[in-house]
Amino acid sequence: MQSSISNPLRIGLRQERVIPPQCLVIFGASGDLTHRKLIPALFELFLQRRIPSEFAIVGCARRPWSDQEFKDKLSIKLANKISKNPNEWNQFLKYLFYEPVDLQQELQVERLAKRLTKIDKLQATHGNKTFYLSVSPNFYGSGCKALKKAGLLEDTVKSRVVIEKPFGRDYSSAKKLNKIVQSCADESQIYRIDHYLGKETVQNILVLRFANTIFEPIWNRNYISNIQITSSETVGVEDRAGYYETSGALRDMLQNHLTQMLAVISMEPPGRFDPEAIRNEKAKVLQATKLADEEEPWRCCIRGQYQEGGNIVNPLRGYREEPGVDPNSTTETYIATKVFIDNWRWQGVPFYLRTGKRLPKRLGEIVLTFKDVPVHLFDSTIINPAPNQLIIRIQPNEGATFKFEVKSPGSGMRSRPVEMEFSYDESFGEPSDEGYVRLLADSMLGDPTLFTRSDEVEAAWKLYTPLIELMENAPWKLPIHKYESKTWGPSESDQLLSRDNFFWRRP
Amino acid sequence: MKPQLTLQTPLELPSEEISNYLNKLWISEGEDNAGANTFSLIVWQPSWLEQRLVKSNLINGPITGNLSEEVIKAAKSLILKNGLPLATSLHSKDLFDLIEVDIQDNSSEDLRGQFFEASISTLNPRRLITLAPTFSNNSDIKTFVSAYCPLNEENKDQTICGDLVVVRGSANSILEKGLDIVDELSINDLPAWLWWNSSLDDCPEILDYFTKNDKRLIIDTANGSLKRCIDILCNALSLEKSINDLNWLRLKSWRESLAMIFDPPSRRNLLDQISQVDVDIEGDHIIQALFLISWISAKLGWIFLKTYYKYDSLIIKFKKDNEEQVSTAINPLPVGNPSIHSGQVIGLRLISSISNDPKKNTCIILGSESAECMRLEAGGMADMHLIEEVVPSSFLSSEADVSKLLSSSRGSTSPLFEEAIKIASTIYKSINY
Repeated sequence: MQSSISNPLRIGLRQERVIPPQCLVIFGASGDLTHRKLIPALFELFLQRRIPSEFAIVGCARRPWSDQEFKDKLSIKLANKISKNPNEWNQFLKYLFYEPVDLQQELQVERLAKRLTKIDKLQATHGNKTFYLSVSPNFYGSGCKALKKAGLLEDTVKSRVVIEKPFGRDYSSAKKLNKIVQSCADESQIYRIDHYLGKETVQNILVLRFANTIFEPIWNRNYISNIQITSSETVGVEDRAGYYETSGALRDMLQNHLTQMLAVISMEPPGRFDPEAIRNEKAKVLQATKLADEEEPWRCCIRGQYQEGGNIVNPLRGYREEPGVDPNSTTETYIATKVFIDNWRWQGVPFYLRTGKRLPKRLGEIVLTFKDVPVHLFDSTIINPAPNQLIIRIQPNEGATFKFEVKSPGSGMRSRPVEMEFSYDESFGEPSDEGYVRLLADSMLGDPTLFTRSDEVEAAWKLYTPLIELMENAPWKLPIHKYESKTWGPSESDQLLSRDNFFWRRP
Repeated sequence: MKPQLTLQTPLELPSEEISNYLNKLWISEGEDNAGANTFSLIVWQPSWLEQRLVKSNLINGPITGNLSEEVIKAAKSLILKNGLPLATSLHSKDLFDLIEVDIQDNSSEDLRGQFFEASISTLNPRRLITLAPTFSNNSDIKTFVSAYCPLNEENKDQTICGDLVVVRGSANSILEKGLDIVDELSINDLPAWLWWNSSLDDCPEILDYFTKNDKRLIIDTANGSLKRCIDILCNALSLEKSINDLNWLRLKSWRESLAMIFDPPSRRNLLDQISQVDVDIEGDHIIQALFLISWISAKLGWIFLKTYYKYDSLIIKFKKDNEEQVSTAINPLPVGNPSIHSGQVIGLRLISSISNDPKKNTCIILGSESAECMRLEAGGMADMHLIEEVVPSSFLSSEADVSKLLSSSRGSTSPLFEEAIKIASTIYKSINY
């Protein structure tokens, strides 16, 4: 979203919730996520004056840095981002502290607890603590145990844990991890983050559906023929081969981001706008979601892996040639699947989900295709009238498009499709916050609406269990199809839809 | 009738025993029932109109302190019968004078302090203190106390309790003794709000007392003379005292709707071309319109020049950065069914004149209803490019406004309001009555 000159009448009108006094403890503070996303998001909150004066950010990692070294390293890494607001950055630095901690070392965690008590007094943070686990998923369970053992999660109101994705590797590991985490903290203290839910446009789906009367009556199997959810990236695996080789597109994107979008687009209206009411509805719809063919799951899923592509000037490597990737890797960089939701609203409506790397465009969108008119009264400029479509663009150019038929100018009565457009940029002209800005603020405010609950996570893993089992036990039944870099995935993925007389939208 | 907060009739206790009684009450309830850790709300609740109507048998008692439909209906019928302007304030002396004539000695049960809208009680005020002045000049202070536990529909397992105290007596005795009781009952560490639920001209010594102490003030400038309203606001600003005005709060939908018009970047240039602003109001209490114009001028960087009257309209001239003038007007209109809040804005028109291309002149109209939009379209406006919006009027009860404020405010004076007060007071000083 592009920024433009602010609307002067808008200044000061937006009443943001103020974060209460808080000590945010980031484990994995020397890692990528901290300087790429977390600290910039916190600095943005500071610029928006939403950070209280009683505040502290305590970075924790194994490296033996001092407070000053931590601040210096962040100042260097974020030099571009802070160049516009150097004075504010200097003020922000006053909130930063660092404590070398290995979560596996009991004594070190105890030492951290003592340091936090001192910082709490120094910064007057009233004992409110948010622990952000930006560490390897292998340490989520042991990290929570260590925090519990040091007594840092005892206060169920004042202490919280934020856990990054992926939450588990499959249904059983997610269940096990939930059990461990819930033995250390109350469910109300656990914030499982999915940064897609922090996106303005994903939240807008709730408003679009439940603040308008025109959509909900047609938001069901009587009017909708199929729904497509796409999240595509133009980049390859880049420097994440180590992680990606063990996860693949299913675990990295499909099970969390795409499935959360599926839940938001298909959930029943909640009785009220309340975190539990919304999460109940999301969990219910995920529990009702099934692969289109659970007995023979290979019929409803296509896996792919990008091959070389590009051109002579700008050649692109194939996945297996990427640094750190096994030359015989069978990790999928593309996955498309078809699911059904077994409830009254969605019975028989196929949901197609696809995600992949090295596709032609970076985008996220949800496409609702409506049923054909029962009788074709008019000729169309193309063979048949195009079905109505509502396209919700998550990124980029956030907004929505509605496609419908109109009379083509001229003496005949021929129809042709046109588009009605809503763009965030054109309507508001203000950039929306990064997902992490919203989610970090919500976690410190104690608002779990946009975080996934244990039953949601488990239902999402359970949904894909037949595919994961197949990939592990009989991978030949779910082969990797090759696709050229910068194309829309393997041709087999098109067949997944053409069998049902549908086709992927070409955005 | 609003729901009764207490299940039992509050207990009458000598004022000096209340503090002890409440302390014991919460201690005996045990640690889990230590009372809500929220805020205290002190309400100045004279309900002069209701008291008069009950005393003169125009409505039935008891006196609850709420501006009920019955009270409004009785007052409006008196206004109509006696030929007062329809927009006459329900707190006006003219209206009170009509009733005073018929006052009989009709004593009725006084239940003030026991009835609050659920929207306030579900915010779980820790302590509600109602100051309930009576007519009699020499009635001494009586104090009543009770605990209450509002049922929370959303979380029925969790009852958070508070207590309420009613201080009843003549205004004089409240001034002499009642204010000390309020101070004694203040809970340290919890924010305390004072809601002046009456005209701002009422009992100035008491209101001035609260303006000077540490309570967060909630007033309603829809009720009170323009001079008194401006004085109180300026005084609060000079004392750096947090002040919240329900009349400013009610402007929110106008400010939002106007900002919304200019959200699309393609319309932003119209803001630089504004040459005329008209604000229509119900009746002749201009303060809300003054706030609206002041807010617009603050945001667009206009500098105030002068005021004068043209017929009934107050004309306010501003100067823009480029030295061009902007003419704004506040137009009092007689309306058939005015709001219970005096001087509410019902229409706003902005004209953007593009001097080198008059075809692109744009008229932006916000009206509280379609008829008002049509009125503002008259006079050749329809020749211009028109952008129109109907702003839904939300004339809630004052209690509902207070509840909105309590649940959303950080307590301090809104910076936007502060800006608007400063400009409004400058404009006010230049008005030549």
